[in-house]
Amino acid sequence: MDPRMAELLTPYLKFLNGRELGPDDSLRERGLDSMQSINVLFEIEDVFGVSLPDEDITDATFATGGTLWTAVQAQLEREGVSS
Amino acid sequence: MTTAPLAELVGRVTKVAEEHVRRTDDEATFPVEALDELRATGLLGLLVPAEDGGLGGSLADVLEASTELGRVDMSLAMIFAMHCQQVAAVLAHAEGKLRAELVPEIAAGRLYLGSVTTEAGKGGHLLTAESAAAWQNGELLVDRFAPIVTGGKQADGFLITMRSPDSEADNQVSLVYASREQVEIEPAGGWNPLGMRASDSGAMKLRGRLPAHQVVGRHGDFHTIVTTVFGPLAHLGWASCWLGTAAGALSRVIASVRGSRGKTDLNSELLLTRLSRSRQRLDTVHALIGHARQVVETTADLSVPKVQLLINAVKITAAEECYRAVDELVDAIGMRHGYLRDSPTRLEQSLRDLRSAVLNYSNDRLHLADGRLTLLDQEVRFA
Repeated sequence: MDPRMAELLTPYLKFLNGRELGPDDSLRERGLDSMQSINVLFEIEDVFGVSLPDEDITDATFATGGTLWTAVQAQLEREGVSS
Repeated sequence: MTTAPLAELVGRVTKVAEEHVRRTDDEATFPVEALDELRATGLLGLLVPAEDGGLGGSLADVLEASTELGRVDMSLAMIFAMHCQQVAAVLAHAEGKLRAELVPEIAAGRLYLGSVTTEAGKGGHLLTAESAAAWQNGELLVDRFAPIVTGGKQADGFLITMRSPDSEADNQVSLVYASREQVEIEPAGGWNPLGMRASDSGAMKLRGRLPAHQVVGRHGDFHTIVTTVFGPLAHLGWASCWLGTAAGALSRVIASVRGSRGKTDLNSELLLTRLSRSRQRLDTVHALIGHARQVVETTADLSVPKVQLLINAVKITAAEECYRAVDELVDAIGMRHGYLRDSPTRLEQSLRDLRSAVLNYSNDRLHLADGRLTLLDQEVRFA
């Protein structure tokens, strides 16, 4: 997982309690509300310059920082943007 | 369906319900006679697979039965639909010992499941819980107040949402099963509402200790149960009950109008237009339920925004349109047949009952969720 991804997510994880976010940590268990997903997507657009396709917006994509980063990486490749 | 056809079984229940619907509405008491018939016909185990002793019914069967019950008594229909929703959660997510204990009892009609998901202070928000379950000597301690428990006094067991033990986040919710004998139940308020009077959904406190295995699915993973079972079954199930209630009302109005031909001008353009609009609203709701059911049956991942939006649209639309359809029927046939409590059209009761539809998991709250989901679905593709 790109360190920028962890940095971007951390403000939304009120139950991270000062720990570092690992790629396999459940975002839900760390406090990410499904209703905040839209804000996370906006941050991804700002930081990485890509927007995730609608079919990627599932619980599975938002499961962990790692799964979210995988989806972002795939989109970066599709759009030919270098991360 | 392996025994008598579904329509015949449901017909046995609606016959009993017809006999008691006036009284249970007047007295705001639970339709125990109709519940007994739901037990006797095996319909409480409608969703349980035949190899487990149930009727092996499908989602479509549940929705059809809910609609038919709704034609006679919306309280009864909602009691049935919500029980089926609990059963579906058990079938999809309970494992091992718990499953082995519950499924045969459900199939035999001995286990009417009540739902305890409401909590003071969070409204109908399903995905958080404030009361935490705690561990003590390997048992789960439950101490829970719930402002609305449909059929709580009659339920043989409950599915209760609790914050997962050892959880840090309030969105780590567990679903636990408690049999009636395992909890002390203290009623915490009466039930004297506008409509839905026979649902007897008063507040209660539940306290008890449960064996550790009585968790449905994984601890903290209620979210998955909501997405895969509770959401779709609740919204499609409720909508089917409401459709049934409005369809029953329209049907009784048509019988009344046809019966009074000679006295009623059946060429009245105002009457015909109002009947048409009422029917059109019901066809819209019917089509939406049918389409959403197909999507639910054929979509592997229901968490996609376009699917969630569709499932929510069924609830929102049915709640509004079924109520409006009956409201218009009151105008269509006027004071005597449409408004008086003892009119055989029973529009007065249907209207009161359907008024709760927008409040039952509030449409306002659902619109907020839908607004966010709409933002997530940039291309606006339809499920």
